[in-house]
Amino acid sequence: MTVIPTDLKAAQKPSGREPGKARVLLGYLVHDKLALISAIYLLILIFAAIFGPMLVGDMATKLGLRQRNMAPFSLEQGWLYVLGADTLGRSILARLVVGAQNTLGIAAAAVVTSMLIGGALGLIAGYSNRWYSQVILRLADIIMSFPSLLLALIVLYTLGPSIPNLIIVLAITRIPIYLRTTRAEVLELRERMFVSAAKAMGAGSLRIVLSHIAPLVAPTLITIAAIDFASVILAESALSFLGLGIQPPQFTWGAMVATGRGYLANAWWVAFWPGLAILLTTLSLNLLSSWARTVADPQQRWRLQTLRRAPR
Amino acid sequence: MFGYLGKRALHSVVSVLGLLVLVFFLTRLTGDPSYLFLPLDATPQAREAFSALHGFDQPLYIQFFNYLGDLLHLDFGESLRQNRSAMEVALEAFPQTLKLAVMAIFLAGALALVVGSLAAAKPGSLFDRFASLVSLAGASAPDFWVAIVGILVFAVSLDLLPTSGTGSAAHWIMPIGVLMLRPFGLLVQVVRGTMIGALSSPYVKTARAKGVRRQKIIFSHALRNSLLPVITVAGDLATSLVNGAVVVESVFGWPGIGKLMIDAIIQRDFAVVQSTVLVTACAIFILNIAIDILYAVLDPRIRYQTS
Amino acid sequence: MRNKGALSKIALAVLLASTASPALAQGGANNITIVLPEQPSNLEPCGSILTDVGQVLSQNITEPLTVIDPKDGTPQPKLATKWERVNDTTWRFHLRDGVKFQDGKEFNAEAVAFTLKRMTGGAFTCNNLAKFGSAKLSVTPVDKLTVDIKTEKPEPILPALLSVAMMVSPATPADKAVNDPVGTGPYKLNTFTPQTVVLDRFDGYWGKTPDIAKATYVWRGESSLRAAMVQTGEAQLTPTIAIQDATNPKTDFSYLNSETTAIRIDTEQPPLNDVRVRKALNLAIDWQGMAELFGTDVLRASQMVVPGINGHNPDLKPWGYDPDQAAKLLAEAKADGVPVGTTIKLIGRNGIYPNGNEGLEAMMTMWEAVGFDIDLTMLDVADWTRYLQKPFPQERGPNLLQIMHDNNKGDAAFTVPIFYHSSGQYATFSDPKVDTLIGEALNATDTGRTKAFQEIFSEVHDRIAVDIPMFHMIGYTRVGESLDWRPNLTTNSEIPLAEIRLKK
Repeated sequence: MTVIPTDLKAAQKPSGREPGKARVLLGYLVHDKLALISAIYLLILIFAAIFGPMLVGDMATKLGLRQRNMAPFSLEQGWLYVLGADTLGRSILARLVVGAQNTLGIAAAAVVTSMLIGGALGLIAGYSNRWYSQVILRLADIIMSFPSLLLALIVLYTLGPSIPNLIIVLAITRIPIYLRTTRAEVLELRERMFVSAAKAMGAGSLRIVLSHIAPLVAPTLITIAAIDFASVILAESALSFLGLGIQPPQFTWGAMVATGRGYLANAWWVAFWPGLAILLTTLSLNLLSSWARTVADPQQRWRLQTLRRAPR
Repeated sequence: MFGYLGKRALHSVVSVLGLLVLVFFLTRLTGDPSYLFLPLDATPQAREAFSALHGFDQPLYIQFFNYLGDLLHLDFGESLRQNRSAMEVALEAFPQTLKLAVMAIFLAGALALVVGSLAAAKPGSLFDRFASLVSLAGASAPDFWVAIVGILVFAVSLDLLPTSGTGSAAHWIMPIGVLMLRPFGLLVQVVRGTMIGALSSPYVKTARAKGVRRQKIIFSHALRNSLLPVITVAGDLATSLVNGAVVVESVFGWPGIGKLMIDAIIQRDFAVVQSTVLVTACAIFILNIAIDILYAVLDPRIRYQTS
Repeated sequence: MRNKGALSKIALAVLLASTASPALAQGGANNITIVLPEQPSNLEPCGSILTDVGQVLSQNITEPLTVIDPKDGTPQPKLATKWERVNDTTWRFHLRDGVKFQDGKEFNAEAVAFTLKRMTGGAFTCNNLAKFGSAKLSVTPVDKLTVDIKTEKPEPILPALLSVAMMVSPATPADKAVNDPVGTGPYKLNTFTPQTVVLDRFDGYWGKTPDIAKATYVWRGESSLRAAMVQTGEAQLTPTIAIQDATNPKTDFSYLNSETTAIRIDTEQPPLNDVRVRKALNLAIDWQGMAELFGTDVLRASQMVVPGINGHNPDLKPWGYDPDQAAKLLAEAKADGVPVGTTIKLIGRNGIYPNGNEGLEAMMTMWEAVGFDIDLTMLDVADWTRYLQKPFPQERGPNLLQIMHDNNKGDAAFTVPIFYHSSGQYATFSDPKVDTLIGEALNATDTGRTKAFQEIFSEVHDRIAVDIPMFHMIGYTRVGESLDWRPNLTTNSEIPLAEIRLKK
């Protein structure tokens, strides 16, 4: 569950077309220390997820059956073992880096999929009044009204656990959010003047939807996607933790916690570090989106400006 | 108002039925349960006999019509594992989850109201920043991880609390603590947001001008108005609580509906999966309708119309 | 704020109602709590070969005619005092006198006939029947305490087979499975709820009165939790904990648990149809390093049955760790045109045994080190079973399957035909010589039988290298310091409460 802002439109990040906007934003960011730290952490994480596996990928699978569950904070075996070794004596740090790629990759793929499908269905349901619009809405209702984790468990169990299926399942549970938002926007937009004008000029429905309406809806969807990313990471971790997500030899942070769960009493670090990585990542994402909301809200923005005024 | 509620109820019934159809076919696609219920060295004949006994040898559509027919007689099928009515199994587990969820949501709500309003009273203060960070952390924390770290610290290392299970009051502390994390985090944000809005609204300003004391304004005027948005997110909270319950129950061995569901899915106990889905879905729909009514009662400005 | 007040009252009431429920039985010197790894799915005596059911039921509520001695695999008297073979297809059993069921009914020849008829009736699924294979039984009471059991084909080990037939009261419904079993055992069922099973001592028991007056069973999936519960005194005994939790020599005991782990090779699929490739697979594994994963007390296995089972071959040497030899064999095979570079699917089963996933990951890495191309897939039980049993999936390709076999029934006949006969359910190969040997062994008795099975084990290991036996596994139990009890080979299938003594 993410902290969904009460007014999504207010959360839209400024589009940055005007010159100097980026610099202003950076100024706001520097002003909010927590958001700054979050941004730096996420940048390092993304960098590690993209390039890390090339550097330490081999170490993540290298067995060390005789240094199983090596304790952290020791540099005897090299800096890669500073966070300790896992149940097969593999470097936890290296596995965190490789796990980051899987964790973030799966979440990103799921978010993009759900955004595209949810957006497309939302455009259809909003623009057309045919029977299938009703069907789409009812399906969304069903998905929305049922606990997503349970639904994901059932679907995943049917399809069989694999990375593509994991992405599909995570996407399915998030689709209704995009669908409903898109539809609500489309309902409003289609009554506007420019749509009527396009219609009068003989443009087809598809053309109107794709070239006139979709571009206007997109920024809202991208904002939701950014916020949703944290929830998807949590959902994926929970599924992998429960054993129905990613399967060995592949792993994500959630799966790493699941492996370490059995060693809690003797080797707490095996489960602790990946869990901490999840927490820090989702927390950073939420801190940043909370910061973005403050920036976007004219009534709140003063908090981030250097020109201080008395609060009241 | 009743017209509106009637329409919603109708939608809900359609949704529940849709869900049941979906779950029926999804579970049947997962394969032959005889592999899980018979010993590995059972003969093929024994497997066939098992399938025939439970009707799994019939074509899927016939199984489905049989299921619908049984539903009309309120027969929800037998649990393959437990040799008894699947609905009985589900209804036995449901109160365990309900108790947990009610306690968690109540505590989370009460705590969030206090923390959220205090944070909103002085936006930007140290307390506000701290409360924001804590609530965001609560909403961001992977609950399964918090649960096992909790067991490690409080039960294994410090020996203060029981590791898991049910029984004494102490058994409730960790499951509730973990389960309320996300609702708490979410609610603090909502309460804080609406309180800040309410405190800068004209009527509060008027009250302040009249010389009403700050605390009184916060607790009697603004708080009251921020209850509504809290109730609005309650529906989302309910589904997220069930999500949390699946994890919490499976870590703490809590015999509730979340654990039952995940066990039944893994063991392909079809009738139990269907019954737990039905019970959960009904509970959530009833809750949603209750929220609508509560909304109307609390806010006289809202009147539902049939349209 | 009226609404909030009402809410708080409801919540308070719920809290009170929940905390008022009775606390688990912990007090009372003669009461113990046992924490199991999983909830007993039901308490049907016909399912007692399943671990979750058997650990509660067997020897506690229900008893069979015979029990298997874990040391040498021979059947010993229980409800039957002696037995003899009347002719090739008939065995005569003499029953114990003065035995009563917990509902007061008398145990006699009629009760035996009722139980066996209920098992074979087919009105519900009787799992224990699987041990009988295709053996058909007909039961004739001779007098009150004598019963003749006839089989269609000669059945030399019928007394051993009957150790899975749990005698139930004639008042038990014959047409459906039950959750309220009534047997002749030293304990009777008090309650069975989603949280606990409670057993009370049965005063009318025919044998010695046991120490424990009342046993409460609870269940937790996590090994570390179970271990912690015994450590903190929430429970007094847990039958299985993972090796990493067995840290306290005062309370934690290891035992050979009759389970043997192995990798089955699909010998029909190239390159696995080449014996050199199969030998290379055996030689490429650092077995000592692997043993670290499962506990240093595990026994390296050379065959699918544990020592103590009739037919176990003590002279069979397991394969050692020789990666150079493995690479050499592979190179030889490659030179002869065997497609050794083909991707081989390594199929595991989630949760098959503790550290099973890690074990497969380690083996995959070692095989790849000598030149195999391995693709690891983890499946759940049902999908995995499709690969285990005939008919195998059509397009399966070359595959290695993670398996675990549990034979605690005393005789290699419960293992060899399924794995190594060409018609066996798990067999991926057919070898006429092995088929003939199996046919002879099944009809042999006494030492001839032992020798025959030993020869089969040596054939499949040394000549054909048909599979990759891994380890005879070790189980760990944690026993509270107040109890005097040690686990043994049968602990996986039963925990006889009557054998648990209280330390004075």
